[in-house]
Amino acid sequence: MATAANSPTESRYRLDQVDADADLMVLNFGPQHPSTHGVFRIKLILDGEIVIRAIPYAGYLHRGVEKLLEKLTYAQGVPIVDKNDYVSPMSNEQALVMAFEKLLKVEVPRRARYLRLIFSELQRIASHLLWLGTFALDMGGALGGGSTVFMYCFRDREGILDLFEAVTGGRFHYNTHTIGGNRHDIPLGWDKRVLAYLDMLEPRIAECESMTTNNSIFVARTQGIGLIDKDLAQGLGLSGPLLRASGVDHDLRRDAPYHAYDEVPVRVMVEQAGDCQARALVRVREMRESIRLVREALAGLPEGGINSGKIIKMPQQFKAQSGQVYAAIETPRGELGTFVIAGGGDKGTAPYRLKIRAPSLHALSALPWILPGHTISDVVVVLGSLDPIMGEVDR
Amino acid sequence: MAVDEQGSAPNAAGQVEAGTPEVPVIQAQSPPIAAKTAVPLAATALSAAIGPGHGSVDESVQAFEHPIYKTLLNVPGLSVAVASLDQLLTWGQKSALFMFPMATSCCGIEFMATAASRVDVDRMGAIVRGTPRQADVMVIAGTITVKMAPKVKRLWEQMPEPKWAVAMGSCAISGDFYRDLYPTIPGIDTVLPVDVYVPGCPPDPQSLMHGLMRLQEKIGLKRAGQWVPTEVRPETEKMTNPGVRRLIDPQRDPEVTAQQTRLALAATVDEPEGELLESGAEAVEQQLPQDLQTLLRERFEVEVFPADAAPIVARKHHLHLARTLKAMGYLNFVYVVASHWPSKDGETFEVAYAVRRTGPGTTLAQWRVQLAADEPIESLAEVWAGADWQEREQYDLVGVQFAGHPDLRRLMLSDDWQGHPLRRDYPADKACFPWR
Repeated sequence: MATAANSPTESRYRLDQVDADADLMVLNFGPQHPSTHGVFRIKLILDGEIVIRAIPYAGYLHRGVEKLLEKLTYAQGVPIVDKNDYVSPMSNEQALVMAFEKLLKVEVPRRARYLRLIFSELQRIASHLLWLGTFALDMGGALGGGSTVFMYCFRDREGILDLFEAVTGGRFHYNTHTIGGNRHDIPLGWDKRVLAYLDMLEPRIAECESMTTNNSIFVARTQGIGLIDKDLAQGLGLSGPLLRASGVDHDLRRDAPYHAYDEVPVRVMVEQAGDCQARALVRVREMRESIRLVREALAGLPEGGINSGKIIKMPQQFKAQSGQVYAAIETPRGELGTFVIAGGGDKGTAPYRLKIRAPSLHALSALPWILPGHTISDVVVVLGSLDPIMGEVDR
Repeated sequence: MAVDEQGSAPNAAGQVEAGTPEVPVIQAQSPPIAAKTAVPLAATALSAAIGPGHGSVDESVQAFEHPIYKTLLNVPGLSVAVASLDQLLTWGQKSALFMFPMATSCCGIEFMATAASRVDVDRMGAIVRGTPRQADVMVIAGTITVKMAPKVKRLWEQMPEPKWAVAMGSCAISGDFYRDLYPTIPGIDTVLPVDVYVPGCPPDPQSLMHGLMRLQEKIGLKRAGQWVPTEVRPETEKMTNPGVRRLIDPQRDPEVTAQQTRLALAATVDEPEGELLESGAEAVEQQLPQDLQTLLRERFEVEVFPADAAPIVARKHHLHLARTLKAMGYLNFVYVVASHWPSKDGETFEVAYAVRRTGPGTTLAQWRVQLAADEPIESLAEVWAGADWQEREQYDLVGVQFAGHPDLRRLMLSDDWQGHPLRRDYPADKACFPWR
């Protein structure tokens, strides 16, 4: 049972007004609820409509991925991690293969690094679109039937899935990254399709903005809700849009460049407020920034090979007897890292221990800190603004 | 729709009383007593008690057993009207499938895409309902774990008859590559009867639509009096019926007790904490070497700096190092990874930590602590709030004890789980009660 030490105790949450003899009610939210974005459960202890205490329970989608990856060789791991953060599979693959490349000391050709950047940024747009759609749905009727935004966002997201399907053959899970490069090069004329799509998307983002972040009802429901201050955000290990919305100027793409981000610099979007509105604004601006990055990377896309040659045909050659590496990338949700201890499997063909550092797990651990003091209707908004993906939380 | 359908009864395997583990689960092969019983309500109840009776149901009983049908059929000349009415009902039933998304993972996103603008399953009359009480079809989209299966079962039982189930994606069908792993179940048909399987990982929206159309065909056939047995894979049939007692055992999911409510209120009281940390931190900040390696060598007696791994810090310095790092500006918590190292002499554990200094030119401070078996390590939850859940996860999966952790419970697995799955000696394909 939780004790006082892991809980926010500050009076700004209006908790001092709670009568000690209050008739408390327990509301079980989840694990199956349309607004929990997957299978997640929060036990809410309520005084009337005010949340006094929130006790989250994770693990309803714990699938044992880390155990599975210990069984498989390095090259076999890639399609498995696709399913972790299933809203941005490309980022999952990249985080895994980058750790393996660091461990096995494999070089990645420049063209492959550019392609990874392009995939990663397109995936960021797709992920943020899905988030915006479902977030508007969470607000429900307040936005005049949030399903309009949902339908618009899903329509636009399909365009990106089509682009990925043209490259990899997969609509959802791609398995396109390998240790030392990419498996698929882009087909002829793909870059023109991407540019045409981005030209179409830009005004549509403005349209979605007019319905959400520029909508007074949206603002009223998000402003000042779910405040995470700078210190709490840092201490909880939040990353990505959540951290930047709390006023911390940090982005791994700029601060520890990987792929080709040192050649295609990123402008980091920072908001100071730390509430749900700030998180929404950061994400919407990141979509525009991603569009710019994709355009720039496509313009500078170098010629050459997309993987490190013959070794890719012999995946069982990947062996490491010792060593521990950690590699992290900035996914749409934040710092997704892979920590690998080498030396497992048959003579070092598999990881001995592999840990996926999931940003969503840290995001959800903020809930007991920020939910108390809010009304029930705000719980859904706060949860949506954290953008958790349960596959990544539970793995 | 007032028509009861005994054909959908196999779901009711979960009617055994809760909390009585001694009562054996009645198998599907029990004699078909229910079929011959005349009173429809009793028949439903009985068949619910004996569970699925594949191929053992009398068609004359299973078709339309609602009392009003008998009355109507006995009126001269009305049988034609009843038949037409029934066709109308069938048409209505299959053309207005209210889907309940039992969406757990990736397939859930494709399910959403099916309901969204491009594919737009609404035009088939299939709309999404957020509650099982208003739904006809449960679409199980995604991996079902041992922890989630009881919840799925309960939701299934909350759906009114007649109801159907669609297993979407390979995880729901068979468990996919998670099949042999400790936390997942080998297909949802070990928990509830499935009518249509939609293969794929995940199936694209068109496949799901195709699956729904097959379901419509099936509903049509069934209502026309033709018996359509629930498809059961041979391997599933051989499995023991899932431990229903376990599924609905209240012990697995205890409600909030009075004690917990009291603690919830107590949590609102401010407690002074971290005084030592803050005052101590100010003092050391001035004289600390900013280079991590120098710091570790001078202050924390670290001699060896391996090229391919983080340095090992003695356990007694662990908490002090953490506080020092925080004072140096390593505010962002990154990871805790525990690993298990069995050997001939016994077993040891190793816990790796990392924290980050954010902003341009970000740096990562990583260190490791080695522990003997059963030796606890100081928790860092009071230094970085993010360590709380991370340490709970490592405690859950590897079994390392964190001393001073405020809330050391399992995070991923259920509280009654035996063992720690990420230990090296825990088999990856361990037989998991009650499924294997």
